[in-house]
Amino acid sequence: MKIELNQLSHTYDVEVLHNLELILTEYNAVALIGMSGSGKSTLIRLMAGLERPTSGTLKINDYDVTNDPEYKKHVGFVFQSHNLFPHLTLKRNITLVLEKTRNIPLEEAEMIAEANLRLLKLEDQMDKLPKNVSGGQAQRASIARALSVNPDVIFLDEPTSSLDPILTDEVLIAIQELRELGKDFVLVTHVMSFVKKFANYVVFMQEGNIVEKGTPEILDHPETPELKDFMSKVH
Amino acid sequence: MNKSDNPNPLTALLQNKIVAYALAFATILAFITFVILRQTGSFSLAVYDPYVALIRNGLLNTIIVSTVALVSSLVIGFIFYLMSISKIQYFRAFTEVFTEIIYGTPLLVLIVISAFVIGPAFNSLDRNTMGYIGLITYMTPYMKNVYKSAISSISEEQYLAMDLFGFTPYQKYRYIIIPQVIRVLMPPMMNNFSQIVKGSALLNVIAYDELFYSIRVAQSQNFAFIEGYMLVWVLYLVITIPLSQLTRTIERRWSL
Repeated sequence: MKIELNQLSHTYDVEVLHNLELILTEYNAVALIGMSGSGKSTLIRLMAGLERPTSGTLKINDYDVTNDPEYKKHVGFVFQSHNLFPHLTLKRNITLVLEKTRNIPLEEAEMIAEANLRLLKLEDQMDKLPKNVSGGQAQRASIARALSVNPDVIFLDEPTSSLDPILTDEVLIAIQELRELGKDFVLVTHVMSFVKKFANYVVFMQEGNIVEKGTPEILDHPETPELKDFMSKVH
Repeated sequence: MNKSDNPNPLTALLQNKIVAYALAFATILAFITFVILRQTGSFSLAVYDPYVALIRNGLLNTIIVSTVALVSSLVIGFIFYLMSISKIQYFRAFTEVFTEIIYGTPLLVLIVISAFVIGPAFNSLDRNTMGYIGLITYMTPYMKNVYKSAISSISEEQYLAMDLFGFTPYQKYRYIIIPQVIRVLMPPMMNNFSQIVKGSALLNVIAYDELFYSIRVAQSQNFAFIEGYMLVWVLYLVITIPLSQLTRTIERRWSL
């Protein structure tokens, strides 16, 4: 995956990202880590094209994220809470997207939905509403939904932060298995043990800046005092 | 001691759901019967036989006025909702001031002012219409709130997801927003309907021949006041209780 951030800044009421610069070309599983409020969630949202940056440019796999409407068709996004449409069954959550936004005939859409739900081990839950499945199952269904549009890049924004430890494991195992699919991943998470297993590049952020970056070894051998401090707190 | 192990058969009986509800109902019925018997030795609804047509007409009018008020306040309430989120500050200010005034006004006062003060000022409008308008006006801010809570029940994140997948605005409303809004909207809307039915009884003060007024007309001729009040009470319950039961069913089935 190619990631290119150039002078990237973002402001809500105050500036939350300050002139970020990052060029990556050869990693397919990038983890963004940092304290709450470090800007990592904002950054992943900008990278996925959910929000427009206040200034600077942002390219993912040569798409100009901010200006190319084609880009969104090639990304999947998994939110902190499952964010399924609550009035639709797990399966319909997927088929509606495929049918209406990808112009796939319903029958084919159902096959794709079933295949993806099966991949996430939800074959018995397909016809249930999100409220009638566990948080972990709902989150896995939302991963299935993100996969079903056949994205090149899958963004996962703290996909387990709303789950208890057992469900967290369940979802993380599912995500780990997705590595086999050969897609690109950008992940925000607080679970450092998972970052070490899953990611091949880590970006550590603090107060809207990229403070340290590198392969996951930096987690065990941090160079900056900030990352050292962070690692001592999360352990 | 564990509750379920309680050996006392009386306690066990009171714990039974059907028995509990039957007893609760019987308690209230017993009280009413006691009160009636204190007032009259010969409670008989037969004196209302000649007025069946009159009362049926009143009942029908109550249902009609309530339905009209419901539909109208749904429409006007929506316009009101749109005004309350408008970019134009005057609209937002207007809905806020209006809501505050209506919240502070008893329905009875609103009906009387509507029919006897505002109506005559525009002398083309008759009293009954003004009564309707009073009732509709009263419900408008409540309906606005129903819309507000229903629409705000769709999270920001859902909109982000819709954008990301690339739904068109029409598709968003048709497949995602409206189906959810209707589910959330139904129960409070039905509660408002019940409120309208009950509130419509106050239209009797402007001599609109709804249910309560019909009973008063009958009472003025047969002097069977106790029977009349009991009858009108039961007839309102006949409308409102099924309505609230239906509301609960919808709430249960449709909740998200």
